Amino acid sequence: MIAGFIDGPLWYFSLTVFCIGVLWKLASIIFGKRKNDLSVARASGIPGAIKTVFSRFKADKGMVPHIRVQIVAGYMFHLGLFAVLFFAAPHILFIEENLFNLDKIGINWLAMPHWAFIVASEFAFLGLLMLWLHRLMNPVSRLISTADDHIAAILTFVVMLTGCMALLEGFSELRLLHRFCVELFLIYFPFSRLIHAFTFIPSRAFTGAWFGRRGISS
Amino acid sequence: MSNSFMLKHSQIFTRPIYCVIYLLLLFCLFLPFSASASGPATSKVNNPANDLWMSVRHNTESGKITSQVKSLDSTVLINSRAEQWTWFRMTLLIKYSIVALVLMIIVILLIFLIRGKIKLQNGLSGNMVHRFTDYERIIHWMLAILFIFLATTGLILLFGRPLLIPILGQEVVAIMASASKEGHNLFGPLFFVSLILMLFRFIKRNIYERGDLTWLLRGGGMIGKSHVTGGFFNMGEKTWYWMVILIGLAISVSGLTLVSPSLGQGRLIMELSHVIHSVAAIILITVALGHMYLASKGTEGTLESMKTGYVDIKWAEEHHDRWAKECHENNKIISAQDYARLQGKNIPNQSPDQSSLVEERK
Repeated sequence: MIAGFIDGPLWYFSLTVFCIGVLWKLASIIFGKRKNDLSVARASGIPGAIKTVFSRFKADKGMVPHIRVQIVAGYMFHLGLFAVLFFAAPHILFIEENLFNLDKIGINWLAMPHWAFIVASEFAFLGLLMLWLHRLMNPVSRLISTADDHIAAILTFVVMLTGCMALLEGFSELRLLHRFCVELFLIYFPFSRLIHAFTFIPSRAFTGAWFGRRGISS
Repeated sequence: MSNSFMLKHSQIFTRPIYCVIYLLLLFCLFLPFSASASGPATSKVNNPANDLWMSVRHNTESGKITSQVKSLDSTVLINSRAEQWTWFRMTLLIKYSIVALVLMIIVILLIFLIRGKIKLQNGLSGNMVHRFTDYERIIHWMLAILFIFLATTGLILLFGRPLLIPILGQEVVAIMASASKEGHNLFGPLFFVSLILMLFRFIKRNIYERGDLTWLLRGGGMIGKSHVTGGFFNMGEKTWYWMVILIGLAISVSGLTLVSPSLGQGRLIMELSHVIHSVAAIILITVALGHMYLASKGTEGTLESMKTGYVDIKWAEEHHDRWAKECHENNKIISAQDYARLQGKNIPNQSPDQSSLVEERK
């Protein structure tokens, strides 16, 4: 009964909340009312927007000595998680079969080997742990952090952990536990700062365009 | 026809005499098996396969044993040592692990009940001194979190059969064991990385120096009445650091050997690795329980160093007087107000009375 609920109604509900929530957030950012910029543009905003989307992947030189831990841990976590999410064999199989029926229209991609999966998840775990501990240990980070940040970090960790614990695929209970955690994560996602996974691009583009119009190199 | 047969057949079991005969026949049928099980009473019949299996077990005709698998030990078909290993794993290890852990918990409870929290003789002053950077505390807590996770999953794997199955049942323990194994294998390398980071970050301050032996001989201040001197780390802390590093390395290396069975190591190395891994882990878990108690509930003002990075100067003077002296000489002490500000607490007015801040920190 519980298995049926997790695999069925709860899954569709969480997916709906996630999709509508993300679309709603993005739409509110893109189509939201803003003050008209009345100044004469020195240049087009588009090159600035595109440039900033990519240039922000590199930390500012002056800041590097102060945020070394965050840079290293941040990249470790995000790249590791990206690799695990989209290139782990069980995830690819799940996406192909359940999410978009991609296998029926012939879209598929290669899974990474098992050792690469282990390395990627090790990176993701280490990075996330370091980032969360930094949030707790650094007085400034601690002060600007809210309960949402901690819940998001812990939830992400639990999702990853239950996934790795179900790696053997020997017990359906472990798979269900992982799926239940994923569903909680999807429901929580649009209402938390986890949404930055989608909003970082429009956010950077907006800043870049604003700077570009004023001729500021960013 | 068949009905009458069934009737007759069922009638047989209703008459006592037939039942007795039936039971006697059954007894006679199983007599040879029970006799052979009792052993010496029967005459010995040589099994023609005995010699073959003896030679296989002792590998006396190793030249004749061949295998398609070209790797170490691939021609060993029966591993006699495995019995000793199983005996060690299932009997000695479990028994002495439980004894060690329970004894340590009893000792901690006794210390807590008899001695209570070890308070500072002169109390907290409120003036603070910086002890650990953010990075150092991140490494410490990372190692601690990973250690607790690995210890828990490791103990589930160790005690699952004798302790958990009677309580939780086979199915639940099987799921827990599967999850623990995967988690344990995955987090093991992270523990190794954290250990290396800790080794390099703290090694300089943990080299033994003059005066450390005095600390040891005086039992860290437990023996005698006069004050026992200490530097940035005292002898006890240095010894704990080296225990974590050396035993941790032994655990990590043996664990990585176990988790990668296809690196070319034979059965002997695997069995030895398991023995080293489990014994070292139990030692570290046992001592870590003491460390956790002393660094939190056991001693006043100690946990703060790993929470905020700062300690009270009175704490430093009492436990690490040589380091405290250096801090005084280099003007590294900050007031309670400055400390509160650094921690992001709002202090409306600078009050000469710092007791409220001290109370808050308590």
